[in-house]
Amino acid sequence: MAEELLKGGNAVICEDEKGRGWKRIDSPSEVRINHNEVPSNISYKEFVFSKTEPIFYFKNRKENYELAEAADGNGKIVFLGAKPCDARSVEIMSKVFNWDYKDKFFNEKAERTIVIGVACSYKDEFCFCTSVNINPASPEGSDIFLVPLDEKEYAVRIITEKGKEFISPYLKYLTEGNAARSEEALGKIKWPGKKFEPGKVREWIGNNFEHKLFDEIGSTCLGCGQCAFACPVCHCFDIVDEECSYECGRRMKNWDACQFGLFTLHSSGHNPRDNQNKRYRQRIAHKFKYYADKFGEILCTGCGRCSRGCPVQIDIAQVAAEINSTANRV
Amino acid sequence: MNELRQLAKELLGNGTVKVIIGYSEGTTPERAKPFIARTEEDAGKLIFNKYCVNNLAVYLTRKEFKRKGTIGIVAKGCDVKAIVQLIQENQVIKDDVYIIGMNCGGVVSGFGVDDTAVKCNNCKVKTPHLYHTLLGAPVETPAKDDGHLKLIQKLDAMTAEEKWSFWEAEFEKCVKCYACRQACPLCYCEKCIADKSMPRWIESSAHTRGNFAWNIIRAFHLSGRCVGCGECERACPAEIPLSLINRKMGMVAKKEFDYSAGMALDAPTLVGNYDTADREDFIK
Repeated sequence: MAEELLKGGNAVICEDEKGRGWKRIDSPSEVRINHNEVPSNISYKEFVFSKTEPIFYFKNRKENYELAEAADGNGKIVFLGAKPCDARSVEIMSKVFNWDYKDKFFNEKAERTIVIGVACSYKDEFCFCTSVNINPASPEGSDIFLVPLDEKEYAVRIITEKGKEFISPYLKYLTEGNAARSEEALGKIKWPGKKFEPGKVREWIGNNFEHKLFDEIGSTCLGCGQCAFACPVCHCFDIVDEECSYECGRRMKNWDACQFGLFTLHSSGHNPRDNQNKRYRQRIAHKFKYYADKFGEILCTGCGRCSRGCPVQIDIAQVAAEINSTANRV
Repeated sequence: MNELRQLAKELLGNGTVKVIIGYSEGTTPERAKPFIARTEEDAGKLIFNKYCVNNLAVYLTRKEFKRKGTIGIVAKGCDVKAIVQLIQENQVIKDDVYIIGMNCGGVVSGFGVDDTAVKCNNCKVKTPHLYHTLLGAPVETPAKDDGHLKLIQKLDAMTAEEKWSFWEAEFEKCVKCYACRQACPLCYCEKCIADKSMPRWIESSAHTRGNFAWNIIRAFHLSGRCVGCGECERACPAEIPLSLINRKMGMVAKKEFDYSAGMALDAPTLVGNYDTADREDFIK
């Protein structure tokens, strides 16, 4: 089935063999579905929200200027083996890319996306999907959902209309399944424990903007972008011009991160978030309060990538749990 | 651990130091994290074990610590190298730091793993070469294979095209999160060249050209300065083998100028010093 998919000019995206990130595969032998190992260092968002992409090309002439549109691809973008904490990523980011301005770069790719999710039987001390209303057996966000039955066999569940349409040419590769068997497999999955109540965290942040807790965390934060760039839903970007300077060039849209000192630096030299404490507060507040207030979604899927990969071990679930317990004490 | 906590309590209590930059337990006991002890009570949370991988010297050049009184720091030999290099480069005033040197038998290669870091294989500073107080007993470890050296030799033997494709494949994964820079104690520039936009020297886009520009310029800037703590490589979410580049540059500094970074307090820095006897035969 993967072979036929690849021949059809579709981009099939799987986790790479080293677990560093996700890659577009060239042959069916590269298919890798990870349902019981640690999530990759970096999520697959770069295939819908590119780490760098041209917005347009320009030529500057004395009397006028010319713009050329950046070329778009076509064919489906198939995410194969998305754990429930990955599967919701496109859906969550869609909110911000469509609320006032419709970001055509994101939407164009998001529309071509097919998410083939997989029930997840991995959990470690950094997993906290259940704290942000996701669970390891949930098909939410997936168009098609795989339930691992044994080492080789998966039960295939069709979740959305998009998924149904997508899979119809390939039904010949599937055999009639036993719903009870996949239900049983799902039932056996052990969920990570709930670490905090997102509503509590949201409320507390709103009332404790200047709390010393943020200073404590900020004091060890190094200010790199690992957390934001590994995250399946962080979506900030920067716009820069590059290539042949004034006469011609291209305007690029690049990933940006709120932990960078440059992120909020004004051209006047003033920086409203002039230290790491304020930057870390922004990260937490955006995820659990601002996004929730504006879009009714938590900007976090509980995958734990930011915590596992943080060079100084700042654990976002621990921070949220601490906020939760501080809120309970008051 | 008790002697560390006891000493920390004393130093904080009698005002010898303002704060102590050390380690405390992370999410699990097998993961230590940086921790700033400010009170005697905080001193009780300090730990030291093989999971203390971070090079805490990175915090010494932070605005909130710089010239704000004496800062205590828990340091392994490799971290002390960074402190020495920072003093050599006049970024840290010698009297502003109180080094709690730790005898070290090697640390793990990253969080959540239990192997020994490659940098520890042939460590020459298991007992730190500079400290105010030394804690722990000297640890004897058997000499191990130098994992990096073999890879560097392999790279050296490659043709230019092969080297290019090796690094192209590695750098392609770079996402420009700058974790390498932020985790590096010697990357202390207040304004990094990568952040300058008028003019923009280094393209901030994470495409092949931008990634090459960034990673190569960082290697150049660290030549003869990198102390080999390996923090850049450990911090990299794309797992780019940055140690290979930095180690190679360090080997050149050793071979051509007989210089090792961070070893001697009073030695002039390699790039900050000019000598008429310097070799020039590489200029063609």
